[in-house]
Order: sequence, then C-alpha cells, then structure tokens
Amino acid sequence: MTLLERDHNAPTAWFGNLPVTNRYTYGLGGERFFRAVKEEGRILGTHCPTCDWTYVPGTAFCERCLGELNEWVDVGATGEVYTYTLLFENYDGTRRETPEIVAFIQIADGGIIHRLGEVDPEEVDIGMLVEAVFKPKAKRTGAITDILHFRPL
Amino acid sequence: MKTKINEFPGISLSEKDFDQGKILFNFDELRGDFAWDTGIAIGQYLASLREGVILGARCSSCRKTVVPPRVVCEWCFRPMAEFVPLEDTGTVNTFSLCYVTWDVQRIKEPEIPAVIEIDGASPLHGIMHLLGEVDPKKIFIGMRVKAVWKPSRQRKGAITDIRYFAPLAEGGVK
Repeated sequence: MTLLERDHNAPTAWFGNLPVTNRYTYGLGGERFFRAVKEEGRILGTHCPTCDWTYVPGTAFCERCLGELNEWVDVGATGEVYTYTLLFENYDGTRRETPEIVAFIQIADGGIIHRLGEVDPEEVDIGMLVEAVFKPKAKRTGAITDILHFRPL
Repeated sequence: MKTKINEFPGISLSEKDFDQGKILFNFDELRGDFAWDTGIAIGQYLASLREGVILGARCSSCRKTVVPPRVVCEWCFRPMAEFVPLEDTGTVNTFSLCYVTWDVQRIKEPEIPAVIEIDGASPLHGIMHLLGEVDPKKIFIGMRVKAVWKPSRQRKGAITDIRYFAPLAEGGVK
C-alpha cells in the first residue's frame, strides 16, 4: 500500500462539538423594558423631548441627539404590520406545512419583530392592526418570547 | 479632556445577581458541531490506536521517524515512505501540573499533561498525553513511561484509547 492511498477502514473524520454558550444581559434600557414585559405585561418606549421621537423598545439614550432618555411611556400593546414574511422552513431546515409568520410591527416610532398568530396567512396585510398576546404572568421569564405572538385586532 | 472622571455609569454584575434574579438575561448556545477530515495519515494513526498500536511515519531520505504520522516529510518535503508501528513506551520530555479543568473549574488532584518521546521515533519526537498512576511530586523529565490502554472493546480510534502513560519501572528510572 502506498501512503497516498486511504485505508477505508480508518476513520475519515473526527467529530466534535464546541461548547460555546453565552449570556446576554439587556443593558440599562433593555432591563427596564423586559421588566415591564415580565411583571406588568406592558410594552414601554422612551420619548425624546428634543427630537420628539418615541423609541420602542425603550432605550437609555436617543440615537439622534445622543441625549439621555428618562421619559418612559406605556405605548400600549397594539401596532401596525409594517412588513412580514412567511416561513415554510423550520430552524433545522425541515419543511413546514403551515408557515410561521414573522412581521415587523410598528409601534410609535419604533417597533418589534415578532410572530403573527391566530390569523390566516392569506389574510395578513401590510398596515393590519395587531395586538400583543402575552403569556400568563407565571410563565413569563423576561424575554421577548413572553409575548407569544401578535394577533389581528 | 482635563476633567477627572471619578464615577463610571453602569453596574458590574456578579454570579449572585443572576442566581437571585436581580438581572434579566438571555442564555444561548451555539451549535458548534464540526467534522475534521483526518486525512490519510491521521486516519491511519487513529485506526492503529484502535488496534493498540502507536503508529509513526518514516522518511527514508531524512532517516527520521515522526509521530503522529504524516504523508509529507516536513524536512525534505518528499512523500513519507512508510508507516511504522512504534513502541507504546517513551520518555517524559516535559510536563505540567494543571489544577484547573478545561472549563476553568478548580481541582484538587492535578491533571498532568506531558510530551512523551515515543520509543522507536527519532529523538525528541513525541506526542502530548496525560500521565497517571504517579505521584505528581515524583515526576521528572526523562522519566520512563508506558501507555495504559483502554480494553480493546472500548477503543474507538481516538487518542483517548490510551488512558494515560504510567511510570514504566519502579519510579520510572531507566
């Protein structure tokens, strides 16, 4: 056997897994936003008086004037579908019969990317008014998934 | 900027803050699955480990025997002529006492990684492995060691088919 020939009984590949984990903390603004989601089931934004702009989710400073934002406002649980897409594939690449509907929901001057639910994919429309459906309080962990989905009003 | 900054905004976090739920966070795990092509030489090396043999490769023009084996000689760039089975004994070239695990947990009994020059390979050629069945205080450079293999049924073609290297004779002296 020459050395350039591969032994077919020999292992061809070494399989492994890199155990990479991470913990993301939301920061000062994000902490306040997700506390409100978790404990009160409310969506908060911040208003910049200089720019007259309301950020959703609420942020600690204004992106436009870089001023500190302290004016936290309840922006309500309703918004408008700004754009959406139908997903026919799962995270692992397998096919879905019914699509997952992911949308950007505009709320005040900002918005949230989330799922749409309790709606026929055919009937989703840009400009559609939707409201957030929260998980029961006991099941909320302080994450964006505390909102199950948005549904038509 | 001449003004001295005495206070920094923000708060440093401790593990307690996470445990006690003082801070919200998102935990995520990357899928880092990989398959690394062993190539011809390392594939053969792993297959030999499964059979309980440490394999080397020999370059006939340099008269060098290297371990682990490779298909190209690093010195003359010619193809290696042959694979050769080596002894499973060797000499400690260097070692370290390691009191932390790979994921930074403190341990009382140290892990002892070592480079072992394998008998049958050219001088100073060896592999990295662990030492075992030995008092950490009594290890020395030049100590003679022998591979302690897993039982053949448990071997699967991995470097861990050798559990560790243990002192050969009493105290590992030649």
